[in-house]
Amino acid sequence: MRERVLVAMSGGVDSSVAAALLVRQGYDVVGATMKLFCHGDDVPDRPCCSLDSVNDARRICEQLGVPHYVLNLESAFGHDVVRDFVDEYARGRTPIPCVRCNTFTKFRDLVRKADAIDARWIATGHYARMIDGALHRGLDPAKDQSYFLWGIDRNVLSRMLLPVGAQTKAQTRAVAHELGLELIAEKRESQDICFVPDGDHTRIIARQLGADAPALSRGPIVRRDGTVVGEHEGFARYTVGQRRGLPGGFGEPMFVVAIEPESRTVVIGPREELLGRGVVAREVNWLVDPPPLGTELSVQIRHRSRAASGVLVRRDGGEVELALDEPVSAISPGQSMVLYDGARVLGGGVIERGRRALPVRAA
Amino acid sequence: MPEPVYLDHAATTPVREEVLAAMLPFFGPRFGNPSSVHRWGREARTALDEARERVGRCLGASPDEVVFTSCGTEADNMALIGVWRARRDEGRRAAVSTPIEHKAVLGALHQVSKEGGEERLLAVDASGQVTAASAESLLRDDVAVCSVMWVNNEIGTVQDVPALAQRAKERGIVFHSDAVQAFGKVAIDARSTPFDMLSISGHKIGAPKGIGALYLRRGTPMEALMFGGAQDRGRRPGTENVAMAVGLACAAELAVAEREEEVQRLGALRDRLEASLLARVPDAVIHGRGVPRAPHVTNISIPGTESESMLIALDLRGIACSAGSACQSGSINPSHVLEAIGVPADVAKSALRLSLGALTTDASIDRVVEVLPMLVEKARRLAPA
Repeated sequence: MRERVLVAMSGGVDSSVAAALLVRQGYDVVGATMKLFCHGDDVPDRPCCSLDSVNDARRICEQLGVPHYVLNLESAFGHDVVRDFVDEYARGRTPIPCVRCNTFTKFRDLVRKADAIDARWIATGHYARMIDGALHRGLDPAKDQSYFLWGIDRNVLSRMLLPVGAQTKAQTRAVAHELGLELIAEKRESQDICFVPDGDHTRIIARQLGADAPALSRGPIVRRDGTVVGEHEGFARYTVGQRRGLPGGFGEPMFVVAIEPESRTVVIGPREELLGRGVVAREVNWLVDPPPLGTELSVQIRHRSRAASGVLVRRDGGEVELALDEPVSAISPGQSMVLYDGARVLGGGVIERGRRALPVRAA
Repeated sequence: MPEPVYLDHAATTPVREEVLAAMLPFFGPRFGNPSSVHRWGREARTALDEARERVGRCLGASPDEVVFTSCGTEADNMALIGVWRARRDEGRRAAVSTPIEHKAVLGALHQVSKEGGEERLLAVDASGQVTAASAESLLRDDVAVCSVMWVNNEIGTVQDVPALAQRAKERGIVFHSDAVQAFGKVAIDARSTPFDMLSISGHKIGAPKGIGALYLRRGTPMEALMFGGAQDRGRRPGTENVAMAVGLACAAELAVAEREEEVQRLGALRDRLEASLLARVPDAVIHGRGVPRAPHVTNISIPGTESESMLIALDLRGIACSAGSACQSGSINPSHVLEAIGVPADVAKSALRLSLGALTTDASIDRVVEVLPMLVEKARRLAPA
């Protein structure tokens, strides 16, 4: 009997090709598009999660000869992802909702749906690879999405299939053409956060917390020494490391180096003030047995940044601390710290803060 | 895999062979436009007039009281919005309906309120029946139009349309009933029941999608919703869909002729289905039980399961049914009907609607009784404690 796989399909080229490859490999494929939010009629077509995308996924499944369903995960997604996104901004941090969507929505809630239909496997169009049951970086460094997958339940790894992870995007498009999936083969990539209708995240914050929420209200822009150098229209518009939208006239480029939500303060400084020698992360999740203190690891603190190397110096409860071998720029609270051994993902956590001084190494 | 089982007749039905055969000439040699003067036109006109007469006979109506529409939704819209607009200067500003109507009626009612009307909803009891007290208090002299569905599409319960229509008549209210699910299941006769308007839909009774009809009692004030030619006395401009009108007439006649026998047959199958499921899943809840129900719908909530997953699991085993109301994307939203009759949200989210019809046999029931309890047991095993 063919093994059943539930494929999460967005209507885009990656997940469509993933489904097609699995059909070709002989799996009993069931396609599913998650309905995660509803903007009603006020938002025109979006590359992801829109009605047209659902229709594309349905048509691809029809072409592949497999069933397709729309799963309503609106309420859980609203709570696990959208609400957290808003709350993190209100705390002066810069969240990555895609991480939580993978952790809670795709690889938890969707896995429950897979259980309900006797699907042994769950598949997505992520550019990451499963090798002997372990999660690895996608083969194409330009597309690697492993950074967003550190939070998933370790027990789910044995059920995951990531069929496009060993391809480049160009190869995926080529396969789409080869398989006759012309409907989606040249579809443009979704870049923004799917539930942020026009790329302006402050609208979501305003809708949930009110337009007069502290995170969206005027506050001071200061230097490290407390000198007020300007005003801003809401700290939720800023991210540590950001250069855009700051006052000029300092003789050198200035960056956001900290956000202090209690006083609604945005702290700016020159490039060197962005450098950190340590990272503290919470909500840590391991995809392997946790390595001992003192282990040298590869660490990535933002998507598309080069991995740095560091040493695990503290691990208690859900929190870990890394000492970085070289200073790293713009360690932004709310982003993810992902730990690797070469291409293998070991685990990760949500960045709590960076440390400017080198943390004390474990004995 | 065993034969697929289609238990979603309340969603749509297959076109009957007789209906298809009756329509085919109008896609071929008898293609004329009923408004044309020549022979082709005359032929088409004759067929259309005959179809109108035949549908009228099925409802106890004269041919001129039948308006062909593109669907049940159009008929419902015409009834509520058309009548409200025609009466708005009479000092009757209110339009009344129930919270368990099809969206075709609720949407039309909403439009009326956008145009300045007052939207009123009658209270329904736990079985979905309009309470006498609310009919008494809401059906007053300021009401232009009242619409109450005859058979509910989700739970199958039958309203006391004769009594409500009578009450409305006494107050000078134009009374409409959405009989899309009722036609062919309950006896409908405009001569003995004082409704003023009534909607039916072809595809629920073995005609194709894309044809419906509104019964419009002579003298009922109604403004057309579309503007154009003089077709159908200007009530429904646009070249008439002759083939589909013929199809609807054919299907309607068959439904009326077979009604009593089919009601017996489906009722027995439905009763056996419910009894067998309850025997295996004793805590299942059948909605609207204990009041008159049409024989073809059963709506069952199974605690510890969840509609969406059950629908998918059933479909993967070849059994088709439905739940709630599908949104445009195809995802399931909670049922407004179950909510309105006071079903708790956690019970409503496990509801399944199985609707029987032409394709349903003893074997279909056996198959469901074999598969569904097994899926229930599995879902409950997986459910988080």
